[in-house]
Amino acid sequence: MNKSRAALGVLVGGALALAACGGASKSSDVGTTTTVGSASDSGHVLSFAEETGGVSATNEGVVEGGTLNILDYNSGASNLDPQRIYSAADLSLLGSTVLRTLTSYKIAPGKDGTSLVADLATDTGTASADAKTWTFTLRDGITFEDGSPITCADIQYGVSRTWAHDVTADDGPLYATQYLDVPEDYPGPFTATAEQEAAFSKGVECRDPKTIVFHLKLSVSDFNFTVSLLAFGPVPKAADTGDKYTLRPMSSGPFKIETYDEGKTLVMVRNDKWSQASDPVRTPHLDRIVWHFGLAEAIIDERMIADQGDDQAAITYAGLASQSLQTVFSGDQYADRRTDGYNGFVSYTIMNLKTVNCLAIRKAIWLAIDREAIRTAVGGPFTGTFASGFINPRLAVDFAEATLPEGLNADGTANTEAAKALMAQAKDDPKCASAYKLATETGLRFDHGASEAWTKVISIWMDSLKAVGIKIIDNPIEPKDLYAAFASNPGDMMRGGWATDWNNASTVIPPLFIKDGGSAYGNFWDDPDYPGFVERVNAALVEVDRAKQASMWKALNQWLVDQVWSIPGTYTRAQYLVGSKVRNAYNWYPFGWYAVGNIGLAA
Amino acid sequence: MLYFILRRTVFAVVLLLAVSLCTYVLFSALPSDPAALTCGKNCTTEVIERNRVRLGYDKPILEQYGLFMEGIVKGRTYGPGEAAVHCPAPALGYSFKRHQCVTALISRSLPVTISVSVGAFVLWMLLGVGLGVLAALKRGRWQDRVATGFSVIGISLPTFFVALLAVLIFTVWWPVLDFPSYTGILTNPWKWAKALVLPWSTLAVVSASTYVRMTRNGVIEVMSEEFVRLGLAKGVRRSVLIVKYVLRAALVPIVTIAGLDFAALLGGAVITESVFNLPGVGKLAIEAVVDSDLPVLVATTLVAAAFIVLANAVVDVCYGFLDPRVREG
Repeated sequence: MNKSRAALGVLVGGALALAACGGASKSSDVGTTTTVGSASDSGHVLSFAEETGGVSATNEGVVEGGTLNILDYNSGASNLDPQRIYSAADLSLLGSTVLRTLTSYKIAPGKDGTSLVADLATDTGTASADAKTWTFTLRDGITFEDGSPITCADIQYGVSRTWAHDVTADDGPLYATQYLDVPEDYPGPFTATAEQEAAFSKGVECRDPKTIVFHLKLSVSDFNFTVSLLAFGPVPKAADTGDKYTLRPMSSGPFKIETYDEGKTLVMVRNDKWSQASDPVRTPHLDRIVWHFGLAEAIIDERMIADQGDDQAAITYAGLASQSLQTVFSGDQYADRRTDGYNGFVSYTIMNLKTVNCLAIRKAIWLAIDREAIRTAVGGPFTGTFASGFINPRLAVDFAEATLPEGLNADGTANTEAAKALMAQAKDDPKCASAYKLATETGLRFDHGASEAWTKVISIWMDSLKAVGIKIIDNPIEPKDLYAAFASNPGDMMRGGWATDWNNASTVIPPLFIKDGGSAYGNFWDDPDYPGFVERVNAALVEVDRAKQASMWKALNQWLVDQVWSIPGTYTRAQYLVGSKVRNAYNWYPFGWYAVGNIGLAA
Repeated sequence: MLYFILRRTVFAVVLLLAVSLCTYVLFSALPSDPAALTCGKNCTTEVIERNRVRLGYDKPILEQYGLFMEGIVKGRTYGPGEAAVHCPAPALGYSFKRHQCVTALISRSLPVTISVSVGAFVLWMLLGVGLGVLAALKRGRWQDRVATGFSVIGISLPTFFVALLAVLIFTVWWPVLDFPSYTGILTNPWKWAKALVLPWSTLAVVSASTYVRMTRNGVIEVMSEEFVRLGLAKGVRRSVLIVKYVLRAALVPIVTIAGLDFAALLGGAVITESVFNLPGVGKLAIEAVVDSDLPVLVATTLVAAAFIVLANAVVDVCYGFLDPRVREG
């Protein structure tokens, strides 16, 4: 469960957003205001003007050196262990500074930033014809911060740590365990026997110190994107301190961690063992990066707006709070310091198909809710654009505007009459009897993260649905326990948020809707159409023709919308303000945040 | 007397043991599952169950408490195989949220809290008692009104408000100070004091208010005693009389309360530490609450309780010295 940042926290009710990266967008250039997406035939509004940061996004006047400050209200970094990092912000922060992987995303503004490039490897990998065997060759001159060379064994060892559930606590992504051909009883490197290690090294094979071969259980045509996750990064066995490794990982990038004083600061300094010649991805300018923890939330925005002293060289870990948006976004005073854009997340309401097993009722709920009032309650259009499905427009290749149910108001207001008609239809349908009784008499339990914003939001849900005769039982849950609660005791409706892990809807639809996907909570397997759905998902997963695969994902997204297995909420947006000396601070699309390691300071 | 001190000490130890048992049992009864908290978002029930066994959360609560106490005496090892972590005695647990031994966390936070507490305490005693005496001596005059007015404002304003306002005024709007960032007194005494000026003042303003009123009332009451009038009649100088006789009598109850207030502060000034970003025991405690970090929660509660018990014992012993009747007890 990863840390969501302020804007999302508000929107999904503190629901900790899950996965990481985003994908390509339709268009956007740095320094100008462009429109992402387009209005669809139904008039569904998807467009909004992104703000890309003006001068702060360029490298105008950058001088080498200096100290960047990161202001954060969290008491510490959620994780620094490569196998445990999963939040988008941490992936971009640590991936651009301290930790390297076989492949990485190009550090560039706009959709350029979504192209995959070789990092520790010499190229972006070679797949066998069936995409079940992937081979990477390590480049020369790559070392850890102690000067020891990074070899295949270090990557093999790093990958194996994902299986050590006791130590890495399943904090990070689990694609390694889902894709790689490793025996199921492999317990991770800390407790494995020699035989188990031998079996593991057949799945993740070191052909020689420079050649690593991944053997997969299934065809994955873009496994080279998968290995860009830090969880596939190297860890030197000798330096592994188990649970404590997350306090002080060994650096392979241009920066290393000098001190980490939890609750106070984490200081990164330049790693003198790193050479620019060995790294085509990162271009560091700074001498030091100081991550300040535990600052009062109310003070951070004030400091950024005031822009004094060291704060002129500061960025914030979380986005602007809704009460600061008015100040920052009215007028042009802050135009060269502010950004406003998609952060790659989609929020949605999961329907429990075991209890709400009637399509007419699910549709009626969608039609009846006043989405516009809900959005206004949490901060208005700044929080996001109404979503038409589960795939973010940033993931351009797999994104298509889905056709929405008939009668859904494009402006987000409630269509109570159409919803009532659907409820009447459900009343007469014997197959809907139990769901109808539950919805109108007992009430539907709505699980969501507890937050101030959501006390307002849930009352709008209740009022909207009351108008069509549906009762809601409010069930706020501590945000940090939210997904665990969904898993152990799912409500009739549940509110979540999700972003892609890489540029493929294979990191959206299977995790959210397939039983073993990791984050599917709605008992979708109780739907009679589930087997057919799984078959189509599996076919899409192993499809190696990317264009064909994209059309399959689009169709599946449309099918999910038609069946209302979940109700799409918004494509969420986030707003940031940087100090006046900060440069190269642009939205790195895969992560919806800055590539901190490439930030420079103007004189 | 020695017997009395011994009795108080034994009583304090027994009390601490009782507090530790209550704390442990109470926190274990919380609805959040400590085993589930050691696990990330993808966690399966099997992993949770394995963690439960590994961390001993499957054992009966009293046995868990026994292991906890054993850890305090002998140290304890957490986790499996090569990834095991050892916490030396006195081991108060291992925080899987913070990846550190709880004892290390506490011993890192304590100097911060002590720095905050001692400075604030000195400042508020000077301010509170000073203004209180002034108000009493100038009863009904403008000095009295200013002092009592200050105490009304101080009592009415919540700590977080004063703290936030102080930060905004002195670091953002009128930046004469840097945003507080704690530095150890041994590392750099000047920076240490500079970072603590705002928290000290905040706590002093908020806490001194009560002392202004108590001191004022105490001094006024003693001033009306017959021995004061006798002294005045015999020609003792007013200033000598006030310092040597009046204050001594008036301050006895205040010192007692001050001792307990100080002990409570040592247990962690939660709000002040949070707003000023001081990584003390109070901040550690509140973060443990937010994270449901059970071992840290238990330990910070115990530390706070220990200070109160200790202060009580010290105050009792002092009373024993001052008033022989107490020793009979």
